[in-house]
Formats: sequence, C-alpha cells, structure tokens
Amino acid sequence: MSLLRPVIEKIAKIYPMAKRYLHAFHGGVFPQYNKELSANQPVREQIIPTKLILPLQQQVGLPAEVLVKVGESVKKNQLLAQSPKDPKKALVVPVHAPTSGVIRAIEPATLAHPSGLQDMAIILEPDGKNTTIDNALKVSKQTIETPDQLKDILFHAGIIGMGGAGFPTYAKIPSRPGQIHTLLINGAECEPFITCDDLLMQTHAYEIVQGALITANALGSSKIICGIESNKPTAIKAMTNAAKDTIVEIKVVESVYPMGGQKQLTLELTGIEMPHKVHAVDIGLLMMNVATFAAIYRAVMFGEPLTSRMVTVSGLGLNKPFNTIAMIGTPFSELAQAAEPKTKLNYPLIMGGPMMGVKVKSNDVPISKTTNCVLANPPEPVDMQMPCIRCGQCMDACPVNLLPQQMYFYAQAHEYDKVEKLNVADCIECGCCSFVCPSHIPLVQYYRHSKSEIREIHAEQKAVDLAKERHEFKMARIEREKAEREARLKAKKEAVKKQASAPKDPTTETKKPSKGAASAAAVAARAAAAKRAAKAKTEDSPVTEKAIPSARLKAIEAAKKATQQSAQQDFEQGSEKTTDPKVAARNAAMLAAKKRAQAKKAAVSSDESTASENEAMPKKDPKQAAKQAAILAAQKRAKAKAASSGTGSETKPDPKKSAQQTAQQTAQQTAQQTAQQTAQQTAQQTPEEATMQTAETTIVDLTVATPETDASRKEAARKATKEAAKLAAKKRADEARAAKQQAQIEAQALAEQTGDIDPIKAKREKAMQAARERAALRKAQKNQNSDDPEST
Amino acid sequence: MIEAVLIFLGLAILFGLLLGYASIRFKVEGNPMAEQIDKILPQTQCGQCGFPGCKPYAEALANGETEVNLCIPGGNEVMIKISEITGLEPKEMDEAAAEAKPKETAYINEDLCIGCVLCIKECPVDAILGATKLMHTVIQQECTGCEKCVPVCPVDCIEMLPENVTPKNWKWPEPVVVEKASK
Amino acid sequence: MIQPTSSPFAHNNQSVRKVMMQVQLAAFPALLTHIYLFGFGIVVQWLLAVATMLVVEYIMLKLRGRPVLPFMTDMSALITITGLVFCIPPEAPWWIIVSGSAFALIFGKHLYGGLGYNPFNPAMLGYAFLLISFPVQMTQWTLPVDLSGHALNFIQSAHYIFTGQVPGISMDALTGATPLNEVRNGLSQGISATDIVTQTVKEETFGLTSWGWVNVAFMVGGLWMIYSRAISWQFPVGFLGSLALISFIFNQYDPTLYPPASFMLFTGGTMLAAFFIITDPVTASTTPKGKFIYACGIGVLVYVIRQWGAFPDGIAFAIILMNIAVPLIDQYTQPRVFGHQR
Repeated sequence: MSLLRPVIEKIAKIYPMAKRYLHAFHGGVFPQYNKELSANQPVREQIIPTKLILPLQQQVGLPAEVLVKVGESVKKNQLLAQSPKDPKKALVVPVHAPTSGVIRAIEPATLAHPSGLQDMAIILEPDGKNTTIDNALKVSKQTIETPDQLKDILFHAGIIGMGGAGFPTYAKIPSRPGQIHTLLINGAECEPFITCDDLLMQTHAYEIVQGALITANALGSSKIICGIESNKPTAIKAMTNAAKDTIVEIKVVESVYPMGGQKQLTLELTGIEMPHKVHAVDIGLLMMNVATFAAIYRAVMFGEPLTSRMVTVSGLGLNKPFNTIAMIGTPFSELAQAAEPKTKLNYPLIMGGPMMGVKVKSNDVPISKTTNCVLANPPEPVDMQMPCIRCGQCMDACPVNLLPQQMYFYAQAHEYDKVEKLNVADCIECGCCSFVCPSHIPLVQYYRHSKSEIREIHAEQKAVDLAKERHEFKMARIEREKAEREARLKAKKEAVKKQASAPKDPTTETKKPSKGAASAAAVAARAAAAKRAAKAKTEDSPVTEKAIPSARLKAIEAAKKATQQSAQQDFEQGSEKTTDPKVAARNAAMLAAKKRAQAKKAAVSSDESTASENEAMPKKDPKQAAKQAAILAAQKRAKAKAASSGTGSETKPDPKKSAQQTAQQTAQQTAQQTAQQTAQQTAQQTPEEATMQTAETTIVDLTVATPETDASRKEAARKATKEAAKLAAKKRADEARAAKQQAQIEAQALAEQTGDIDPIKAKREKAMQAARERAALRKAQKNQNSDDPEST
Repeated sequence: MIEAVLIFLGLAILFGLLLGYASIRFKVEGNPMAEQIDKILPQTQCGQCGFPGCKPYAEALANGETEVNLCIPGGNEVMIKISEITGLEPKEMDEAAAEAKPKETAYINEDLCIGCVLCIKECPVDAILGATKLMHTVIQQECTGCEKCVPVCPVDCIEMLPENVTPKNWKWPEPVVVEKASK
Repeated sequence: MIQPTSSPFAHNNQSVRKVMMQVQLAAFPALLTHIYLFGFGIVVQWLLAVATMLVVEYIMLKLRGRPVLPFMTDMSALITITGLVFCIPPEAPWWIIVSGSAFALIFGKHLYGGLGYNPFNPAMLGYAFLLISFPVQMTQWTLPVDLSGHALNFIQSAHYIFTGQVPGISMDALTGATPLNEVRNGLSQGISATDIVTQTVKEETFGLTSWGWVNVAFMVGGLWMIYSRAISWQFPVGFLGSLALISFIFNQYDPTLYPPASFMLFTGGTMLAAFFIITDPVTASTTPKGKFIYACGIGVLVYVIRQWGAFPDGIAFAIILMNIAVPLIDQYTQPRVFGHQR
C-alpha cells in the first residue's frame, strides 16, 4: 500500500475518487470541510453567559438528584446533583457548577436532543466572580497505579466520553489492569466545520499527552497511538512535540469522512477490524477523544471536575466564527450571538457538524459535555426526492459496507425484520449514503427510524411473551386454588363424616345420612332460591347490578334469605319443645349455630375473595375490626344520605323506580351489614371452631325432630352446656365489642359534627355517590331506550 | 395396453402405501396450528374476540370454528398472518379496529380506590398489585392495555392513559418524502 | 421550507438529472460519427423519437397522477430513446421508431411504476419488440456512405423515412446487410468465417469498418463516463472481457466457424451496449460482485445468440434474460459487512 500511495495520490488529482483507496476502510466521502472558517481564528476567552442550564439527565445514565436548593449560592466546581445509586451497579454522572453563582430555578428546560422534549434542569445564574473551589475532588498528587483508583476519580469528576456518545468513562474503563494493551487517542475530527479538537491539540497538547500517559499507567497499557487527520498540520506538530520521548505515537491519517468513527479509526491505526457487537475493551483496545484525555489530566492533577470544554461556533451564517472553552450549560444562542450572525437567528441551530449533527428545537438549549460545535447554517433549498435509481453510489460510500439501497427498500415497505437482517444495527449513522444519493433520498433518516422501530418490536415481543407467561401462571394459580378449595371441602366433609360415624347413637347414625342429605337439599334449595332472586333483581336493573358483581349479590341475597329463614325457623322451633329447659338451651344453641352456618355458607358460596376476606380478617386485631365496623356504619350513613339525596336529584323522578331503588338500597345495606357482621362474627372465631360449628350444624336437621333416647339426651345435654358456655363467652365479647363500637361511632359522629371528616373518605364517598348516580342515570336511559323501540 | 394399466395400478398402489406409511409414521400429536397461531397473537388476553383469552381463540381458529378477523389488538397484520396459517380467506377488520391506537396502560386513581380487589381478579396477566382493603396499583410494565379492569371497578377509578414520551423511549419519526423542491 | 428531518444537512452535487446529462453527453461523439458515416437519417429518427417521448411521457404521467414537470425533465427517458435510436437502421420508416419508443416507454417504464421500478431495460424491450414484430425493416440497414456512394442529406433522409422513397435514388443501392448479418448468411452458406471477415476488411477505413468506428466513438464516450463516475466500471469490463474471452477461445478452436474477438468487439451494438445499455442502473445488479457477474452473463449470452441463435445481434435478448436473473444475483453476492465474518 505504501508503494502505491504516491501513485494513487497522483491519480487522485485527476480522479478524486481514487482517494478512497488511500484509507483502510471501505467507502467514505470527501465533503466541503470549511474548517478554515474557524481553524485560523484564535481561541476566544471564556464567555460567562447570563444563565447556565444544567440538565439532570445526561446522555447516558440515571438522572441526577439535586443536592442544592433554589436561591443557594454555589461556587465553581461545587457538586450540584448526583444520583445516590451505587456507581458500580448503575451509571451515575454527577453535575458540577461551571462557575459561581446563584441557583435561580430547578425546572424543566428544552434538551439538546432531537426530540425537543423537556426535562428537569438546574438554572444557574452566574455572578461573574468565578469563585472556585480548588481541588474539589480532593486528589493527592500520587501516581495512579490501578484502574480502580482512576475510575474513582473519573466518577467523581463526572467525565463522560466527550467525542459524542457520552458514555461515563469510569464505567467504560475495565477494572482489570493489563486488559487494555493499546490506548487509542482520537484526534481525527473528520466532520466539516468542526475544529475544536484541532485547537485543543494546538493549545493543550501537553495535557492531552499527559492524560493519556496517566490512563495508560493506570490501566497497564503498553502502547498509545494518536490518530490525527492530515488536514491539521499545526496540531500534528504540537502533538508530536508534546509526545516526544514518551510512548505516545502520533500517526497521521487520511482526511476522509468518517475517519473519526471508532471502528474506522481502529482499523486505520491498528489494522484490527472490530467484530460486530463487540466492545473495544473486550479485545484490549480503548479509544477516547482528545478532550476526554485533557479532562482526565485536569481531574487527576488538579482535582477539577468536568465543567467546560472547547466548542466550535461556526457556520456559513456567522461573520466571526471562533472556538472557545465554553462552560457546560451555556445556551447556544449566546455563543452564536458572540459570533456576530449575518442575519437574525430565526432558523434552528445545529448541535454538531452538518453530517451527524442534530437540529435543536430551541436555540436556547445548553451546551452539554458532549457538544463539540454550534453550527449556524442558514437553511438551503432542498431538492425533490426522486425514486431510487439503484445506482449503487450509497453502497460505494458506506464505511461499514452495508447495502443502503436494499435497506431503504425494506424500510420504506415497513418490513423491519428484513432491514434487521441486512445488519442495520451496524450502521454508524454517518450520513455518507444520504450525502451521495443522486435522488436526494434521506437514507440515514430511514435507518434511524428503522432502528427505533426494531427496538420497539423486540420490546413488544418480549412483553407479549411475558404477558403470555403471566396469564398462563394466573390460570394455573386459579386452577390450583380451586383444587385446594375442593380438597379442603372434601377433607371437611370427610371429617364431618368421621365425626358423625364416631361414638354416637346407632339410631342417629342411620338418621344422619338422611338428615345430612335433607339438610344438604335444604341448603341447595336455599341457594337456588337465592339465585333466582338475584336473577330477578338483575332483570330489573341490570346496570346497577353490574356495578356490584353477581357473586356479591348472591351473598347478599343468601344472607337476606338466611335471616328470613332463621326468623321463620326460630318461630317454628320456638313453638315446639319449649318446656324442657335443657332442650330449649340446646335448641337455642342449635339455632344460633344454624344462623352462623347459613351466614357462613352464604359467604363461602360467593367467590373466594370474600372467603379470603374472612380468613384475612381474624389475623387483624379487634381494634381494626372495630374501626372497620365504624367505617361501615359511616358508609351506611353516607349511603342513606346518598339514597335520600340521590332520589331527590334524579332528573326523571319516577316514583315507582325511586321507591324500588330506595327499597333496594336499604335492603342491600341491611343485608350487607348483616352479612358483614355475621361474617365478622364468624371471623372472630378460630377456624377450628368454625369448622366444628359447621360440622355440628350440618348434622342438625331443621325440619325433622330427633327422637330422643337416654344416650342422645345425655349427649345433647353435654353439647348444650358447652354451647351455652360458648354463647356466654361470646356474648361477653360481643358486648365488649359493641361498647367499643358505640364509642367509636360516637367519636365518629362527633368528628362529623365538628366537620373534621377525613377528606379522602369524603372524596371516596362522593365518588361512590357519583358512581351510583351514574349507574342510576344509565339504568334510567336504558329503560327509556328499551321502552322506545326505535332508538338504537 | 394391459401393461399400461398394470403399470399405473402398480404406481397407484405404491404411492398409496407410501402415503399411508407417512401419515402414520410422521403423525404430529396435538394441533400445531393452534400453537403457531397463538405465537402470533398479541397475548393481551382482552377477550375482545369473544374468547376468554388468546389460546382459546387460537384453538378455535385451528379447529376452523371461527373467523380470522376478530383480534382487535392484533389488527390487520395479525389477521393476514392468521389467514396465511389457517388457509382461510383474509377478511376485513371491523371499522373500530382499523385505526391504530397508541399503546395505553391502566392507571388507578389511588385517592378513589376502595380496595375491593375486583380489578385484581379481572386482570388476565396479574398486573395489578394489591390486596383486600389495601391500596391497588397497576404495574405499568406488565399492563397489556386490554381494558378488562376498567368496567369492573365500582368507583370507576381506573383510566387508560397513553405512555409518557421521554428521551429514553422517543422514536425517530419516519422521514417525510419531499414531494416538491423547495425554493 | 422543507428541511431534512435530521442529519446529514450536507449533500454533494449529484442529482439524477446530472447523471443522465452526463450519459447523454457521452453519446454525442458517437452521434457525430454516425452522422458522418451513415448520413442524417439518425437525426431524423432522433427527433421523431423525442417528439414521441414528450407525448408519451406527458400522457403516462398524467394518467398515473404524478407531477409532470420534474419527471419529464429528469432525462431518463432521453437515454432510453437515444439507445433505441442507435439500434435501429437509420433509414427505417418513421413508424418503427415511434412504435418502438412508445412501447419502450409505456411497457418498459411507466407501467412498472416509472423511474426506478422497471425490471427490464426499456430500450432493449423496445428493440426486442421491433425485432420480433418487424424483422424485415429491422434488418434493412443502410450501407455506409463509402459503400453505397450516396450521402443522403437531411431532407432526403426525412423524405425516405416518411415516405419510403428518395426521388432519384434506388433503394437497393442504399441498403444492405450489417457485417454480423453477412457473417451469419455466409456461414449458413458454407463460407468460412475468416473469408467473410477478410472480405469485410476490404471495406475498411483506417483499419475499421464504419460500424467499427461508431463503436470506437461509443467507447470513447464510455471511458469518459467511467471517469466521471456516471457508470460503474464493472459493466464494460465484465461484458467486453467475457465476450472477448469466449470469442477468443472459440476462434482458437476453429477459426473457420468462429470470427475473431476483434471482430466481435467492434461490430453491431457491442460498445453501445457495453457503455450505455447494460449500465442502466435501474435494471442492472446492484452489488459490486453482482454487477460483474451480470455483465459477464450478458457477454456470454450475446456470443451464444450471435453464433447459434436466430438473430444477428443478440444484445437485446441477452440483456433482457440477464435482467430476469438480477434479483437472484443480488441475493447471493452481498458484500461482507464490516465486522462480520462473511
């Protein structure tokens, strides 16, 4: 290659495209550089702007959390924001104050991002004094021997890759010494108009070289190569001088765009072609921009965090383009104004160069740590987009040797899986293809769009798979719970059967199955009745009932029926056998047990949630239960209020319907209350007692009286006394609870009267009332619609 | 003449035997078509197709019992894929399904939630976190936007909102074709 | 003002119109040579073709609902008709070029979706249509001036093209067979190829027949186009190389049956095809290796059709056949992406 080089250079004078053979990677373009606009100007003094905007969310990493307050005075290099997460586990980038001043605000500001979205930022107003905290990072002048020491300083200095990507440098550097054998310094700067690296190398060559040496020493690298494009002769000289007698090797590379791309420059400097999807650090290479190395030097030697960087302010729309070391957070417009624009800046500025830059949505966006240029190019007329003529120029120009044409066809047709197969993930978005396209097709824009779409498709696919998994798990869980419940019921039935067949009357034994059957039949009959009643209700007002699911309705109805039945049975039972006190006690006990059993059955026959409620409730302490009772009471009151006001506020006062509604509501309330209270009561017991009760109650037949024998009487007596004792204990507990409840209710009433109601509860009640009103309206409308056959 | 008849008869018998052997030896258990279809359905388990989940719809399709154009979250693309797999004719989707909605997820207004667990029971992917009388909240990552929880809430505290666009999930828009040269 | 939605905000100076203009300019020397050697017939034909093009393009763009002015001025149709005009005999009747151009533009370009979407080379499609539909008119080539002794000026050519006669001159004196045709006829009559070639050599000026000179002019234009990057170098190199190679091999094998390579390269529409027709980017292969294979395929097919096929000059069919194979070639010649194994 070196032999052919002069030949090719000669040919290149008449055939410019021959220059493509002078560099190692494929393709590349030779745009108009226009670098002389800013390269020949001296570096201007730092501009202190009127305000500094410091976004909390940097390019990569977690958003920082603010550590200062509005109105606080801060000094230069003071730490303003940092995420508290562990930097070893997450990417954390701290924010420091670029100059001294006062924090004016912490508010959303437009980001220098292509989306133009806003994000939280610290607005700092400089006071012009530039009071500095020296050695803010508190470094000692010791040499850094291990990567971890270097990582620590880099993390605290907030140094990120200043070449454009902005990946936190402390995370990029590996912890193992010796893993990186070659350090590469990227001084190529291939984009047109940009000269910030050029001037940095001219003015701070010593810092760059020293920074590289410090890094190489810490990482254990044996080689340092610096690549500089041939169109920067002064910089090459300055760097060569600074690198004299060091292991830093300065290599001059061809001026072609995109020479400064990581993979392209690596191939050029080392001859190693980086495999796709592999990080450079994994193959022992580490490449960083010259500005990053200079920042490392300042951080290690002087303890200065990263607060400013060299920025080019250039463009065809400026009279005096220049370079300056700008503070991070300086708004674009102030820098552009300092360059004396030719016309008013009523067009968007570009962050970066014309090939890869981003048009900012507002000219006041701030300089970030990765901004290398503020470009003011007045918009030029755009040619019409022709269809693709398949000329292949894009393919010839692509540095990654992709097929932009094919990717364009598939991206246009939205066949993103085929675009992915064509390796669009390897596209470095350099813009060479769009640059050369004769049809003026915005190729790179299609690939950017395709990449986002592909990423979204993958995420969606993952989400879909996960949703499927979760759904299947849920189905399995429901199956399992059903099976467990059935097993439990079965076990209960077995236990009951066992108990029944335990030492008892042989006569009663024979009667038990029939009684059991009869009782089961009765229960079934009750349940069926409840269902029918529920269905009748739903036909009446389906909309209202939808709000309350049928299961609960069932419970309500069952409880209602249970109370009715128990009243009936009381009457029935009370008419018979009142003479024998023992029998009476036994009967009372049986009745109480019956009531409980019915209530429990009603609760159990609804879904498992109420069952879980019941099971969950005993775990709570009685105080909470009392509170709940109080809440219920309050709710009841609210409902009553709502019911009364609701009926009044109906737009179409239909007396029948309103009466029905109020009747419904009151019935619901009472049913709910009784159901809940009985549920509470049963919950107060331990599960064992409950099972025992149900076991006992299943034995008891409601309609058929048991013929008595001596043994059975004795047994009955024993049971009766036990029951009586239990009842007494419960009565005591109930009274205590009731007293507490009463106290609570009174307290509640007092609170209500004094107007000290919990606003959340009021809101909730209001919402419930609103929901009920809506439901009523819907029902009214529906009835209206069903009345009027013509409406749809 | 007779040889021709014999030859054809022999060929027919030979191929018949081969086919019979193949149908027994290479028989596939179960209905792979249902699996294939299930893989391309969006798994929101929303029930808008009328089936209680994506798998039942896939199985019904595999048995040829239902239409191909019922999956609304899947839209036109899924309908075409289904028709390709099942060999049925592609059918027009309903008007309501034709427009593509941005992905919406459920948000519970915590001030109004009364802790009734009805939405938790309803959610087909268990994306709602909560327990009885305790605060409920939707795990945004898991919510598929099926909207099954919205009608069951007795206080109407669940609403569907589109995702927030942040710089992290912002997408590059599709390039606009420049129809005319600008001056 | 519509701006690109995102970078790059810079562009080089290429455009479709520029590329097409470069191709048109490269054809100019050949046009002049043709006029000098064959008379003004070609100018009349070209004007007729331009008129047809304007009418057909306008009607088709309107029917397709596309913006008329930008697409009519992108010069791509001009290349098509120029190529077609060079393929037909300069004194062919007017309706030959009109029907050929119309067919080429409508069926070869617009019905497939316009610029960039057609699979077949439109000029070759039109030429094939003419060859098959009007074989007689397509083989009645005008003899070069030095052979016929008559140089038809513009008016006479126009008169002949439109009416089929020229007052005062008999047609038989003007028309004759092309060298390729002569070779074919001669071979079928049993005359050895070397004899035919030496026969035609007698009518040379400066070592080449008139047709040979036209080919040289095309080559000059083509080399300029390679320099200005209007076409890719793989096409002429592949085509001419493979044609030369295969004719050389066969010539070495039996000189009496197979004409030499030099003859093959400078007769008929070889150079026209090599630099102007097969380089049409829309219908050719797009990958670098694919372009080479495509061009080699055309070269082989041209030789085959010329030697053993029914038509004296097989360029049209060779190109159309390879157009069919282009997607396959593209699929299997994809370049190695940076960072991937293959």
